[in-house]
Amino acid sequence: MNEAAGDAVSILREQLRTLIHAQLPSAQSIEVSNLAPLTAGNTRNAWSFDASWNKDGSTQTVGCVMLRKAEAGQLETPLIPEFEVIRSLWGTGVPIPRALWIDPEGKWVERPAFILERVAGTSDFPALLRPEGAEISRGVAEHLVEVAARLHTVDWKARGMTFLPATTAETAAAQQIEYWESLFRKHRMEPHPMIVGAFIWLKEHQPVAGRITIVHGDFRYGNLLYEGKRINALLDWEMVHLGDPVEDLTWAYRALWSPASVMPLEEFVERYSKLSGIPVHPDNLIFYRLFNEIKHTIISLTGAKSFNDGRTRNIVIADRAATFTSYLLQFLDWLPETHLRDAL
Amino acid sequence: MIKPTIGELLSGVATGLRERVLPEIPAGTTRRQIQAAIGIIARVALVWDKTAPYLCADNEDIEETLGRMLPVLERVAAKEGNARIGAVSTKLRATFEDSTQPAQPFPSAEVLGARNLELQKTLAEIQEAMHENFADESADRKELKATLYALFHRMLTRELEITRPARRP
Repeated sequence: MNEAAGDAVSILREQLRTLIHAQLPSAQSIEVSNLAPLTAGNTRNAWSFDASWNKDGSTQTVGCVMLRKAEAGQLETPLIPEFEVIRSLWGTGVPIPRALWIDPEGKWVERPAFILERVAGTSDFPALLRPEGAEISRGVAEHLVEVAARLHTVDWKARGMTFLPATTAETAAAQQIEYWESLFRKHRMEPHPMIVGAFIWLKEHQPVAGRITIVHGDFRYGNLLYEGKRINALLDWEMVHLGDPVEDLTWAYRALWSPASVMPLEEFVERYSKLSGIPVHPDNLIFYRLFNEIKHTIISLTGAKSFNDGRTRNIVIADRAATFTSYLLQFLDWLPETHLRDAL
Repeated sequence: MIKPTIGELLSGVATGLRERVLPEIPAGTTRRQIQAAIGIIARVALVWDKTAPYLCADNEDIEETLGRMLPVLERVAAKEGNARIGAVSTKLRATFEDSTQPAQPFPSAEVLGARNLELQKTLAEIQEAMHENFADESADRKELKATLYALFHRMLTRELEITRPARRP
């Protein structure tokens, strides 16, 4: 580590000590150790550290992960609802890290951040997609069905998650379309008539949700910490909202990270419905498969625009506008209307 | 200067960075940023020389398709008394008559790009106008939609050669 980086770590260590002291005023001898960067994500920078303090005569030590907002990225979502959802889900059986502390305005650590308890496991999802990882992947997929069923049957009202924007079975799809279309109109750098057409198709084919549940919003291989065949934590809740749970199921099966080679979607849906009691209507399934191609397109477009505008210098997302051609082709290939498909 | 072409030059830079620079950089954020940059340079190297032909082919296809759609659009506007589709049709006819594409045989990528944006905008406007009264699914409307979606498929397939080019052997 060079001198400047070492100084930055020392400063952050002190900032974290101050933050913890503000959150735990009765704690004494607060120590922050083993502070190290984990990853530089597209919207959050992750740091790992151990925090220890004395309280009532005993020493407590907690392994922590801080997620701190990066410069502008692919999406700019508020931290508070994300943190509150994680906190509210603790004890429901959904595997999540324990929520510890939040610095919503970056008062202590310069940028908005929250701290979670560190969870063991790996997030190496390419390993799950390789043929040699098939057996473990099958086990993880089986657990993923259980996690989806558990998440979507959480009584979110009883858990106090009414701070999430309200929706209904009739308006859930419309709200999501409106949200992503507003981002599209804000961030597009050219007219993109195909995307305009896709939003029109979605508006003309909105399904009614079978049930309104918590929707993780980025439910997939890649946002899991797993050990062997078990999922220890579901990560990255920044797109969490209330809506149609089918959105999560179909997101998990996007081609980039799909577990279809070890568990076909049909089997996943069948197991899910049996476990959750939530029926999955074929119209909802096809709608959200198409919707998710457009959602990922807009996420990529947003990242490309942030880089183009100079709001981020993260080169990893600079060329994201070149990634969504295949998503749009997938949208066209999945269109259910035969007269449109036949014309392709 | 003809040789090296810009594509060849960028390709060489990407290879140099990958083979000489990257091995010197330890794993971490900096390495990921350099890897991403190399990926972008390598892609641009492969498509740099194809951009103008791509835009030229795209513009020709869109113009030809719009030309076929125009009488159907005018028929829909007349049958439905739909003022917005009527306005789009009128604008489209004017676009053909006052094409900004210069007569010069080898227009620059910039000129072709500007024309492409105009055509894209027209395609978006047609769909927005049709969506206003979408409950009426006449045979003409179905034909227009099928024609548009087929065009989009061709446009995206063409775009793949720019956004995800095959690597040089």
